[in-house]
Amino acid sequence: MKDIRLLLVDDEDDFRQTLAKRLAKKGIPPEQAENGEKALSILEKKEMDVVVLDVKMPGMDGIEVLHHIKKKHPRTEVIFLTGHAATQDGVDGIKTGAFDYLSKPIEFEHLLSKIKQAYDKIEREEEKLREAQFRNKMEHQMATTERLASLGTLAAGVAHEINNPLAIINESAGWLKLIISKEEMAQMPRKQDFEMALNKIEKGVDRARRITHQLLGFAKKDDSVMAEVNLSELADEAIQLVSREMANKEIEIIRETAPDTGTIWSDPYQLRQVLINLITNAIHATESGGKITVMLEAVNGEINLTVQDSGQGIPKENLDKIFEPFFSTKSPGEGTGLGLSVTRGIIEKLGGTIRVKSRLGHGTSFCITLPRYYEIKEGLDQDERIPFLDNLAKQSGSTQ
Amino acid sequence: MIKIPTKVLLVDDEKDFIEMLSLRLKEVGERITVAHSGQEGLDALEKADIDVVILDIKMPGMDGIETLTEIKKKYPLVEVIMLTGHGSTETAVQGMKLGAFDYLMKPADFNDLTAKLEGARKRKDEQEERIRKAEAKFLLRKSGGIF
Repeated sequence: MKDIRLLLVDDEDDFRQTLAKRLAKKGIPPEQAENGEKALSILEKKEMDVVVLDVKMPGMDGIEVLHHIKKKHPRTEVIFLTGHAATQDGVDGIKTGAFDYLSKPIEFEHLLSKIKQAYDKIEREEEKLREAQFRNKMEHQMATTERLASLGTLAAGVAHEINNPLAIINESAGWLKLIISKEEMAQMPRKQDFEMALNKIEKGVDRARRITHQLLGFAKKDDSVMAEVNLSELADEAIQLVSREMANKEIEIIRETAPDTGTIWSDPYQLRQVLINLITNAIHATESGGKITVMLEAVNGEINLTVQDSGQGIPKENLDKIFEPFFSTKSPGEGTGLGLSVTRGIIEKLGGTIRVKSRLGHGTSFCITLPRYYEIKEGLDQDERIPFLDNLAKQSGSTQ
Repeated sequence: MIKIPTKVLLVDDEKDFIEMLSLRLKEVGERITVAHSGQEGLDALEKADIDVVILDIKMPGMDGIETLTEIKKKYPLVEVIMLTGHGSTETAVQGMKLGAFDYLMKPADFNDLTAKLEGARKRKDEQEERIRKAEAKFLLRKSGGIF
């Protein structure tokens, strides 16, 4: 028999104690209260599944207690005990939300089965709730995944198509710059204006190029090199690459590597990209003089990699969005909003997972779990990315 | 210092791109020939003396990889730099296995481009130098010289 948390409320001590003893023998030792106030204070401290409640009590009567219970503890079920032939009390109780009522003198077996029924009802409701929550979560997740998949395909296609005109703009601006830097152009009127505008064009192209290149990296599916990777060495390398930025902000980096971490079989280049992304983000999030911790440990044949910062943390409403492409809180031009979506894309492709934990004002930690061995499934098309439009057609036909 | 121009062949179906890039490269003193398809590129190689080919990977008709294979077969000393408009580096890597000198992603940084151009030109010069020396040795031996 499962542990039913039961509260027995009756002002008649003998009756209550006898009943409690018999219930305890059946495996349901109940809490006891001799009046309504006591019952409510017990409920305040300890959650109960079922309350067996006498209607007629001095002070707060059964109906009133029931009101309170239903208001504050809606999941608790109440069984009413009414006086002999006082059916009206029982009906009132059920109207107020009681599970059922029993008339005194009660038959013990009858009470026992009612308690079990009430408990079953709670379990059913909880199951329903869990199911609803699960379904909700799955639907949400599927919608997000589908949206990201089509967004990724679309974005890669757009990026690809944009690179060509971008290259034309780039060469044109570069050529003009070359021309006006010639000696024969030294006396050109308003030369500085031209220079200024051309520099702006080049900067703009550079920004757009960073975005398109990252987008293409994001959609890349089958471009992996598998090798034995020492994550600890890789982390050292990544830290080395961003060390200047860290030194500028006087950020302390702490390394914690469990001795049994060893090596994994994965893609070193992509993992290095992930490490750089996460550490760079951490640097941006951390105030001067803060700390960043990079932790490595082995758990059940998998490796956990955590990058933790002492920065300002991520507001709750943003936590769901940070892995979406183009979501960024940095000012335009500083962040493309692609770092974390690329990161997640890489990690999932390598058979791992990434989670985020954050507390406002305390910092954020990203935890990656990677398998020790992982075979990347071969893509459909190894050599050439399917042209943009083909891909879109595919996308609408089937979900990847 | 007088710059010795590198003789560059640009092959890309994007006409505007070819036009602007060739103007820019001419401006820094290179000698440029252009072609708008793989076949045109091969024809150009037949007529003109070329050091380095800058070759777009994705072209209608004969694509970059096919063109590269043909170039390397007929003109093994000509160096090729691949240009890619998309993210798949595999094709670029495949190109390098087939003998391309290097690859660049569009839009390419001009400094990168000129650096790679110079590298390609240098490799070609060195290779030709070695061939000349080997030939000289061979001729010397044949004519009963010092050896």
